[in-house]
Amino acid sequence: MNNVLAISGIVIKELYRRKDFYVLFVLTALITLLLGSVSFFNDAKIARYLKEVCLLLIWISSLVIAISTTARQIPAERENRTIFPLLAKPVTRGQFIMGKFLGCWLACGVALVVFYLFFGVVSESRGRGDSSAAGLSATAAATDASSKTDEHDHAAAGSEHHNEHETPETTGQRSVVLNYVQALWLHWMMLGVVTAMVLLGSVVLSAPSVSITISFIGIIGILLLGEHLNKVALRQPQPLQAIIYTGYFLIPHLEWFDIRDRVIYDQPAIAFGDCGLATLYAIVYTGLFLFLTWFVFRRKTLTL
Amino acid sequence: MRRASPYLVLGLLLTICFAVATTIQPRTRAWSDRAKSGDVLKMLLGDGRRMFANHFFEQADVSFHSGYYPSIFDRREQPGKTAMASGKDEHDEHDEAAHEKEMAFRGQPRDWIEAFGRHFRVTEHTHLAHGQEREILPWLRISAELDPQRVDTYTVAAYWLREKLGKIKEAEEFLREGQRNNPDSCEILFELGRLYRDGRHDPQRARNVWELALRKWNAQESGKAEPNYFQLEKIAVHLARLEEEAGRFSRAISLLELGKKSSPNPDALQKQVDEIKEKMRARESAPQAPAY
Amino acid sequence: MSVILKTEKLRVEYASRESRSGTKVALNGLDLEVRAGEVFGYLGPNGAGKTTTMNVLLGFVHATGGEARLFGVDVREPIARQRIGYLPELTYYYKFLTAEELLRFYARIFGIPRGEADRRIDSLLKLVELEHARSRPIKTYSKGMQQRVGLAQALINNPDLLILDEPTSGLDPLGRMKVREIIQRLKSEGKTVFFSSHELGEAESVCDRVAIICQGELKAVGKVSDLVAQYQCDLEKLFLKLIGYQPQGVS
Repeated sequence: MNNVLAISGIVIKELYRRKDFYVLFVLTALITLLLGSVSFFNDAKIARYLKEVCLLLIWISSLVIAISTTARQIPAERENRTIFPLLAKPVTRGQFIMGKFLGCWLACGVALVVFYLFFGVVSESRGRGDSSAAGLSATAAATDASSKTDEHDHAAAGSEHHNEHETPETTGQRSVVLNYVQALWLHWMMLGVVTAMVLLGSVVLSAPSVSITISFIGIIGILLLGEHLNKVALRQPQPLQAIIYTGYFLIPHLEWFDIRDRVIYDQPAIAFGDCGLATLYAIVYTGLFLFLTWFVFRRKTLTL
Repeated sequence: MRRASPYLVLGLLLTICFAVATTIQPRTRAWSDRAKSGDVLKMLLGDGRRMFANHFFEQADVSFHSGYYPSIFDRREQPGKTAMASGKDEHDEHDEAAHEKEMAFRGQPRDWIEAFGRHFRVTEHTHLAHGQEREILPWLRISAELDPQRVDTYTVAAYWLREKLGKIKEAEEFLREGQRNNPDSCEILFELGRLYRDGRHDPQRARNVWELALRKWNAQESGKAEPNYFQLEKIAVHLARLEEEAGRFSRAISLLELGKKSSPNPDALQKQVDEIKEKMRARESAPQAPAY
Repeated sequence: MSVILKTEKLRVEYASRESRSGTKVALNGLDLEVRAGEVFGYLGPNGAGKTTTMNVLLGFVHATGGEARLFGVDVREPIARQRIGYLPELTYYYKFLTAEELLRFYARIFGIPRGEADRRIDSLLKLVELEHARSRPIKTYSKGMQQRVGLAQALINNPDLLILDEPTSGLDPLGRMKVREIIQRLKSEGKTVFFSSHELGEAESVCDRVAIICQGELKAVGKVSDLVAQYQCDLEKLFLKLIGYQPQGVS
């Protein structure tokens, strides 16, 4: 584990010493603030368009960071030959893969926290009253959903029960915060799957540009079309139907982790049980992709 | 000389570029509308901006439904009017039922992936209310910027601004902008008339605007193989109501008769005609005030 | 003296389109033994199989046949690399790190405690004369400085066996002298050094024993003085003879 953490530390250092993250963050902040400064029909309470744009930019930026950082890790190590002094130490290839994955994933997590803090500040500065009001119903529904699905998890569900001394406003704000935290968590989990997928791609396709392009197409494709593949399959003749349906059951359903609509439209928070299951799903797929990456990489010949 | 030669070549190339540019530039204006356009968006996107405008108009409807919206895979057939747009028209229970049916696009989940995925989606069909309708406005504004010839954008935005947000001034400004971009639009004139009557309580201006709308309709639609009678009915009926309120009963009756031709519910209009006729008779039979 | 590096009938084949059989033999039944405390020179012309041997010893390439052991452990086991230091021919390090960060990273890989790592980093940077530049990113270093960082990283775990791949190539005479001094110093500390080189003079001056390899096969192995006596010529002529070089007459 020590080796894995040491390698991941290098990846994180590399990310914050490169300018990609800062550029993307400044770009996101700039566009959001620019749009925030526009007055639509002299109404200062309009907020959702800003949330929508800000979250879209955060999603795009996070995918760019995750894919571009991960895709170049192993090819760059091979191209710059930094992999040789490293693997000449008592480091297994599995530890190398895990270190790279963990570094990229943690770096994405840090970037996400910064992005979501910015999002929180932006959305709180606009339409605060509306969010709190909507949050009231959201909390009530979340409590309901939690108690339905997590009947055994009294601690989790209990934390959502209204306290006699709490004002409705605080409860509403708490729900909004809960929504943000869930969005951040699920987003991060999804980036775990994405990072593992891209790592596998970077081992199979050693040219980073090819790996980045294919990863982008694949991941955007899953995010946009993944949930509709079953409907598409039903309209196709056999054997195409069977092929598409198989693909539908095989691909990681990354779109589950995109709960932007729930955040933007102040929907009730997701039940903790569902959130946990989605996390488990992400872990399984991440593990699967990491195993495949190791399987491909373990016997790969590295020549000086 | 050897040192200066790269700079001389550079200077020569720049001169050639400048000369070619000045020669070609006047010709490019004839090549396409895009080059002529003073609008940056039109220049950048060309006619593709209409596609984006359509997307943002739909985005406003998505926002109106708080994210509960069918994707292209959920729509079996081309959707009709958006709920946001139909909201501004008078509609009955039948329309609402049809809308509910249209929005019940999810149905039963086909498999466990779809069933589980629904926990992360907005699954309740709601419409914005209590002033939250304002959230659709930025998308309509952007849509209008991208496609100023799309009339719907102005009328829908003006309706919500006037009716739900009480922003009469902003609604009027937006409609005026729409009118500048679409000078022959009866729809915009009709909406402007409603704004004058209901928002400004100025029936005289409303009457002028609707009369103009009627003239424009006659000029544009009457000669067509399939004229837009729905529009005609709206203008005629609203104008008739104004005329009735002003006591010009015979004009009101003739407008209602005009509306009846195209109305899906002519009996209701006939009933109104009968009521006005009744009023006319009552006025005629009323004793004249003695002249002094 | 105990044998700490041993290869037995080591064979490595690569897929090759040029060859009719579809494979190219890079190493063919290589038997090699390096004993504790000696400086062992591994000599051969370009393409002889020196780098392939190193690749196998470091686990970058898996042998097609035979076996290779470090400290009695199969080279495929990562633990075999716990007591070795490796200096590649060129400087392959994370250029965005400083020398200190790079050494700390490798120290962590070897599981060296923080206090001990600090002490070793200080002494190694002093040894390679890079104390003044310890906080500068490696990308700002000259080639000689980068090579010295490489040497420092190879020594971070206080290794018993040092594998050096052409350690003086590309260095100026002063740089070469310093590397030689360091090798001598390591030898005096009882370390084993296994290094490949083209520089026959260098091998002659620092090596206890040398091996000459050509076309993947071991041609000769032994003390320089013994080989010279056996073939009755100097090392350069011996080298040329063993690799099959025929001098052409000048007309």
